[in-house]
Amino acid sequence: MLRIHCPWCGTRDESEFRYRGDAGRVRPAHEAGLASFSAHVYERANPRGWHLEWWLHVAGCRQLLKVLRHTQSHEIRWVGRAEEPAPLPEDCAP
Amino acid sequence: MSAAPGRVVAGLLTAGGRAVTFRFDGRIFQGLEGDTLASALLASGERLIGRSFKYHRPRGIITAGPEEPCALVDVMTASGREPNQLATTLLLHEGLEAVSQNRWPSLAFDIRAALDRLSRFLPAGFYYKTFMSPGWAWERLYEPLIRRAAGLGVLAPVVGAHAEAAETLHEHTDVLIVGAGAAGLAAAAVLGASGLRVLLAEQDAALGGGTLLDARWQAWRERRRAGLVRVPGVRCLERTTVLGAYGHGVFAALEVLGAAERAAFGGLRERLHVIRAQRVLLATGAIERLIAFPGNDVPGVMLAGAALAYLRRYGVAVGRRPVFFINNDEAYEALFALAAAGITAAGVADVRPASHAAQRARELGVDVLCGARVTAVRGRGALRAVQVVTGEGGQREFAADCLLISGGFTPAAALATQLGSPLAWQESIAAFVPELAGAVGRVAGAARGVFGLAAAAREGALAGQAIAAELRGREVAAAAAAAAEAEDAGLPADAMATPMSPLWEVSGRGRAFVDLQNDVTSADVRLAHREGYEHVEHMKRFTTHTMATDQGRIGGLLGSAVLAEARGVPLSEVGQVKARPYVQPVPFAALAGGEVREHYKPKRRVALHDWHERAGATFVPTGLWLRPLVYARASSWEAVLGEARSVRRAVGITDVSTLGKIDVRGKDAARFLDFVYANTFSSLPIGRARYGIMLREDGMVFDDGTTSRLGPEHFLVTTTTANSTAVLEHLEFQLQANCRELDVLLTDVCDQWAQFAVAGPRARAVLSAVVGGRELSNAAFPFMAAGEATIAGVAGRLFRISFSGELAYELAVPASEAERIWLAVLEAGTPCGISPYGLDALNTLRIEKGHVTGAELNGNTSAADLGFARMLKPQGDFVGRVLSQRPALEAADRLQLVGVRPAVRTRRLRNGMQLVAPEAPTASLGYITSSTPSVELEGWVGLALLAGGRARIGTRLTGTSPLHDERLEVEIVSPHMLDPENTRVRA
Amino acid sequence: MSAPDLALAALPADILEVAAFGGAAPKLVRRGAEAWALPPLGRVSAAPAGLALAVRPERWLIVLAPQAGGTSAARWQGLLGTSCAVVELSAGLAAFFLAGAPAREVLKRGCRLDLDPGVFAQGSAAATQMAQVAVTLAALPGGLLLLTPASTARHLREWLMQVGRAFGIASVSDVTVAALSGEP
Repeated sequence: MLRIHCPWCGTRDESEFRYRGDAGRVRPAHEAGLASFSAHVYERANPRGWHLEWWLHVAGCRQLLKVLRHTQSHEIRWVGRAEEPAPLPEDCAP
Repeated sequence: MSAAPGRVVAGLLTAGGRAVTFRFDGRIFQGLEGDTLASALLASGERLIGRSFKYHRPRGIITAGPEEPCALVDVMTASGREPNQLATTLLLHEGLEAVSQNRWPSLAFDIRAALDRLSRFLPAGFYYKTFMSPGWAWERLYEPLIRRAAGLGVLAPVVGAHAEAAETLHEHTDVLIVGAGAAGLAAAAVLGASGLRVLLAEQDAALGGGTLLDARWQAWRERRRAGLVRVPGVRCLERTTVLGAYGHGVFAALEVLGAAERAAFGGLRERLHVIRAQRVLLATGAIERLIAFPGNDVPGVMLAGAALAYLRRYGVAVGRRPVFFINNDEAYEALFALAAAGITAAGVADVRPASHAAQRARELGVDVLCGARVTAVRGRGALRAVQVVTGEGGQREFAADCLLISGGFTPAAALATQLGSPLAWQESIAAFVPELAGAVGRVAGAARGVFGLAAAAREGALAGQAIAAELRGREVAAAAAAAAEAEDAGLPADAMATPMSPLWEVSGRGRAFVDLQNDVTSADVRLAHREGYEHVEHMKRFTTHTMATDQGRIGGLLGSAVLAEARGVPLSEVGQVKARPYVQPVPFAALAGGEVREHYKPKRRVALHDWHERAGATFVPTGLWLRPLVYARASSWEAVLGEARSVRRAVGITDVSTLGKIDVRGKDAARFLDFVYANTFSSLPIGRARYGIMLREDGMVFDDGTTSRLGPEHFLVTTTTANSTAVLEHLEFQLQANCRELDVLLTDVCDQWAQFAVAGPRARAVLSAVVGGRELSNAAFPFMAAGEATIAGVAGRLFRISFSGELAYELAVPASEAERIWLAVLEAGTPCGISPYGLDALNTLRIEKGHVTGAELNGNTSAADLGFARMLKPQGDFVGRVLSQRPALEAADRLQLVGVRPAVRTRRLRNGMQLVAPEAPTASLGYITSSTPSVELEGWVGLALLAGGRARIGTRLTGTSPLHDERLEVEIVSPHMLDPENTRVRA
Repeated sequence: MSAPDLALAALPADILEVAAFGGAAPKLVRRGAEAWALPPLGRVSAAPAGLALAVRPERWLIVLAPQAGGTSAARWQGLLGTSCAVVELSAGLAAFFLAGAPAREVLKRGCRLDLDPGVFAQGSAAATQMAQVAVTLAALPGGLLLLTPASTARHLREWLMQVGRAFGIASVSDVTVAALSGEP
């Protein structure tokens, strides 16, 4: 079970959060066209390693968090607010 | 009643205990309070406890703890039969009734024991290789036969009553210590003195671990135990097994309640503790190993440490003429203890050439053969004699009633490996040893291969100090360690021990078991190797070695050793099988905890719930909500259509409070809604409502509902009941991830407002009587108007929106006023013939009108499929915009929403009915999503998703339901089957 | 009759949510301070008229003695001005007060927060889940305040009464906001 350190509420159980997908991606502008949106919605690196993720703290502050999690060890190295730039490691998938 | 000839001295746990009467296989026995079932049976001289899983061999008691592979029983309780209880941990209580397993007709004479004679034809994998054809026979013939022949306990339906008596506790601690032996107790003292919160979990009924077996340690143990009770931050949980480690400092532990607490908690049996710890200290000890030799499973063969435990803990001698077969000095403790109780060993086969302990034993007059090994035993249901080959090759036979064996000790590393610990081979103890990363915790004492109580206590204190230093600083830790050490002055020293010498297997005639619970022999392991299963985890799956409930705790390493020999590589290269959570079987009821029956999942109730109940409503769960389905004891079309008819002909009222309601405020509120909805809200005038559809980013419809503009920067969004939680999360996500520059506040106001729809041609007449401060004429409050209103004196909101297709209003009032307002409307509506209607009638009404719900908004339908293509705004960005314009979504053969009516009006439609062309009756063109008998039209009406549906309107197809063996001709019509011009809603 | 070991009471109250618009939170705290000390995140503060809880950033839940006619929201909007939204939740949230020594021990049976008095000390507030439903929790001098959505109030109450049974829980008459708003 993950324990996620919410910057607002402190460390809470995974069950208080809702996973909201890959936070390494930026939604394209709508002018970017079909190919960009297809890539945005459907294409995933699915890395074995560091992964930047969106987690919404639905049972707490209802804030959207960025979580840097290792998909193999489940280690969480960093949790930040939605607008914070994440300190991505070298080997983090794009 | 049998006497207790085995009770030779006073036991630590049973001294002064009351006599307790219990039954085993129908016979009456007496034990003492503090006994386990196993110790009480041994005291009474019982040896044969059960029959083995595969070969039905007679089996006895091997161990004195949770690692027991053989002594499993079924326990009869008031609520039924609970299988596979360990006699070695099952605490005796008055009236306990236990039954042996896997035998028929009786334990002494088991008819299927004949299987044992055929064992040479039943190697590992036998069943799968043999019962291959014909294919049908496996399921119908072979498997039922094999299942009847194999197995252990009998699973009877005990779940019902058992499920009541468990609960889950959420724990938080600085340090979790697993195991309260010398290491665990010493660590707890240091950690507690450092001011840390400590949870000390001990699987045993008493704290102490190995110190319980050594009288010299009693004073130290008592001092520590009393000391811990005085520290407020330390909690000791007895009878609590840590079941698994789940990362991030989370552990699960199962506590079996003691009698007093069980009574105080209304019969509660178990607690599941979910523990969150900053650090863990694993002081789980080591487990004595089996040796594989022919006949190592005959009742009377037992681990030497178990014999010591039965004597010290319960005062029970496991035999009168014990013989030992051992390879280490620790195992001699049983010999010395039995000798002190007046029972002299008949002989010892020590595999080593010489040892300190052997010398001491000889001084007691025991016949110790060094460099010797046991090659066979005599006796089948009970041990009679032991055959030994001496170092010089001579043969000896000892008459004996028990054979006490010890193959060394394996650190209990299950939790450590679950935490990712590597296992290092340690030659001196011939075992694998775990180590943890400091940020996770430490391993101390026998669990990391440091044997001896004094050494373990030192290790525990050091580990405690190291953890305390990390969490509280060096000075605090050093002071705490010094204080604890002061109390340890004059501890008994560990005896000088001659190193052990590994011995895994003695080959000879007859089977040597490596896994007693699953009946796996050393020959099975060799077969696995011959068949190419070289990896230890592959061997495990081929042979089922260590796959039983004990996970091979006493024999696991033996299998690895036999495999290593077969492969011709060192054991350190083969490794040991990975233990999985749970370390011990857990009743499902304990995992479910308190979340059973009415607490299985929460129920959300509308403010008017009690009124609906009094009115005789049948409720239907919708998500977590309970919604009135129909105001009748059981839903029948007659009752549903009666309610719907009242809406079409007069007026009805229904509770729509479960719709999601989200308050949206801020200077950018309109821009935000334009982004999350496919249609436009910035152009919506104040005081008006608009139907909106929300897409997912992949272009499919996500949800629909009306949104009203209550002020320039204030909107109220409504969602479907089913999606209310998901829509709120979606909006919050979009706002925080993609619209950070917008100044918008979202607030969930779902429960604040009770909302009722009043629908029907007389709705205006009814509401005019209760709404104050607003004229309800078409000119003053037209279709899709929205605004504040006083309703029966209460400040609320009024919306002219319609889901039923009739002239309708929805009114919203604070939920606390729900009943008063509902009753006021009912009263005002009485002259008009008002009646409440439930979800079923609402469904009938909306199907007639062609409105969609979850059946059509199924995640695979696009706006165009549902006929909403024109709602998509042509300009600007919104969620789902780009992908909703994918060419594939414009294909002419997409499933599109249509209406369906039976050509012969008296025939019925069914949800899920497939629509096919008469000439191709197995090629589905679509299916009926919703159907109902109609109020206004003749016969049934339905909605369907049909390939190229809009182009098929006016044609006929076949509706087929193979499940019901029904076929009928249907007309494809517009989904707007009632009042397509919307004259009713605008009336 | 002596007081029960553990007492569960309903707390009739008007409840408002005050949410600051973009960047307005500091101004709001200053403005609010004239009448009320809006607490920092994770805390509950008290004033003679009621309680203020902060469990979400830049938002506060205000718990007041009930006013006839539901005028609290309008009054607070007037007091705090247009830099925030004041949303009426009096009927949307139900308030309970759990008093007695075993209160935290009982809540461990469904609450995943660390409720140790040294961690969730007096004056703490948090939004979390309990018995699978949303609960906002605050530690007050006499016990624990629990807010839950109105639709799950009955579920939460029934659950508390069940897990509290072994600890001698009893349902007692309502408490008033005034009784709880002594300085925590």
